[in-house]
Amino acid sequence: MTEAAPFERIQCQWCQSMNEKTATACRACGAPLDIRNLVSESGWREAPRIRDMTEIHFSSSTCQVEGEIVPAAEINLGAGDSIFFEHHVMLWKDVNVPLSVLQLAGGMKRAFAGMPFIISVATGPGRIAFSRDATGELVVLPLHPGMELDVREHAFLLSSHQIGYSFIRVKGLTNILFGGQGMYMDRFITTSTSGLLILHGYGNVFERRLAAGESIMVEPGAFLYKDSTVTMEVEFQKLSSGFFGGASMSLAKMTGPGRVGIQSMYVHHRSE
Amino acid sequence: MFCVNCGNQIRDDQNFCVGCGSPAKRPPATQPVTAPPQQPVATQAAPAAPPAYSAPTDREDAPDVQSSGGNCQWCGGPIARGLTSCPRCGAALSMPEEVSPSGWAQLPGRKDMAKLQFGNSFCQIEGTYVPVADMKLAPEDSVYFTHHVLLWKDPQINITTMSMKGGWKRLMGGLPLIMTQAQGPGHIAFSKDDPGELIPVPLQPGEAIDVREHMFLVATSHVQYDWLNTGVWFTTQNGDDSETHYPIGMLMDRFSAPQAPGLLLLHAGGNIFVRDLGQGEAILVKPKALVFKDPTVRMQLHFEHPAAGYSFWGNWGNRYLWLLMEGPGRVAIQSVFEPTEGEGGRITNSSYATRQQW
Repeated sequence: MTEAAPFERIQCQWCQSMNEKTATACRACGAPLDIRNLVSESGWREAPRIRDMTEIHFSSSTCQVEGEIVPAAEINLGAGDSIFFEHHVMLWKDVNVPLSVLQLAGGMKRAFAGMPFIISVATGPGRIAFSRDATGELVVLPLHPGMELDVREHAFLLSSHQIGYSFIRVKGLTNILFGGQGMYMDRFITTSTSGLLILHGYGNVFERRLAAGESIMVEPGAFLYKDSTVTMEVEFQKLSSGFFGGASMSLAKMTGPGRVGIQSMYVHHRSE
Repeated sequence: MFCVNCGNQIRDDQNFCVGCGSPAKRPPATQPVTAPPQQPVATQAAPAAPPAYSAPTDREDAPDVQSSGGNCQWCGGPIARGLTSCPRCGAALSMPEEVSPSGWAQLPGRKDMAKLQFGNSFCQIEGTYVPVADMKLAPEDSVYFTHHVLLWKDPQINITTMSMKGGWKRLMGGLPLIMTQAQGPGHIAFSKDDPGELIPVPLQPGEAIDVREHMFLVATSHVQYDWLNTGVWFTTQNGDDSETHYPIGMLMDRFSAPQAPGLLLLHAGGNIFVRDLGQGEAILVKPKALVFKDPTVRMQLHFEHPAAGYSFWGNWGNRYLWLLMEGPGRVAIQSVFEPTEGEGGRITNSSYATRQQW
């Protein structure tokens, strides 16, 4: 943003944080600041490819992004900071970093639906690292106060403790049976303090900002995250083959206003 | 020139020492003389921040090179003066084809967001791990695909099924029975579900290409789609059970452009390598590594028995199964592929095969 020049600061175009003029990567989300954005003509912006070993700062902690094909997030927790996550994404940790469990309402119901209802918490000081099980990208989303984000189940890698966690049921039976998308989405809400949310998307990740009333049809398996202001409904299409019943295809119709994030590869999760 | 690390001689066209792998140090004057690197359009870029970051430049980061006219190294298409990549296949001029001494060429480098043109429509290739083909279809253009590769689309784009002759045969081969079609105007995007590369294959009238099953991503409506028997099979015996295996599938897709030029997009796993075989030149490849070949390339099975201390083992247990490809024509392979089913079994019969006992 050229307007920022008088203040000798540059704004990160991924997360809007202000950075030192000489910075080459955003302090808050790790996005490279010295290369151009990759935006397709259709309006999708590629999630920034974070350079190997980039450091990201949140409250009194740091996160270092290591590797590129299946990147790991290594967190150096400051005293008093904590993060929460699903236990299957843990890669390694210091021996003396305490772990606890987040108390959640409605967890039992979700457990019966085949989801883990245990969200683990790690508290600083100390180091703990996370990664997921397939080629992809880390999507670093610093959440500013008042943000509300819905995320595909199992797609979040970790979240800082300032962010409120809940989950919502995806409405409509077609979502469950045909959408390829589970019954629940994780919802992350910030109130008065900013926090850090890191997702892992399979393949490449793209984001697009929909205007109010603007729609896009997305393969449900590709859905990664959305602002809670974006609505999602499943539309059905029957494909007749002329032989048997044919196949049917369902697409999620996402309608703005707000951001929509998709992944280019879809890995089916059974039960984890 | 000699390697500063190990003293080995380095040819002028080599960037690394073949003896020890050290980068070849060369004076900057040997850089190819090209038009001055085009400055990226700095509309939104940070205001002239000092270039503090100076990591070694990757092929992807190399500055754009403008064409001074001429044809694409990869697909032969004309590249108008001033363009930085081939409009037909997306190959970037700053990333020339890299050929190994053995003759395999890597797919030409393509910059993220490279744009191809077909008819009045465009295709942008986005991402690097699992690339997306993002089509902007003009009203008169349409593309076809199998429905599971659809990633997203504009709401107004209509998807219909395509009628296919011989659908039964296709079903028996275990291949997708339903082809779907999307008609412009609007945007629609496709991707597969494994890390790999997108291969744009521009087809000129009269050209054809044979593609192994499951490689197809999307094609423009000018591309004609047909299939043929591979004629490559073998049977294994296990007790009373006999089983027939098709190491490259029972059927192979043949794509051609009978009248108008068309664009075919394939997706293969890992990295893709291509070589052009001369008349009568042969190469052995693992069957499942095959991505595509020119119709002029002949293929057959080849069994290889390595020399062993005990000839008994050499005859039976230890045997490698290859696909022998014989030119003239191009052959493409992928670096990620599944093992060949039945390879270790007791083979009782097969399609025409040659044998090598070491």
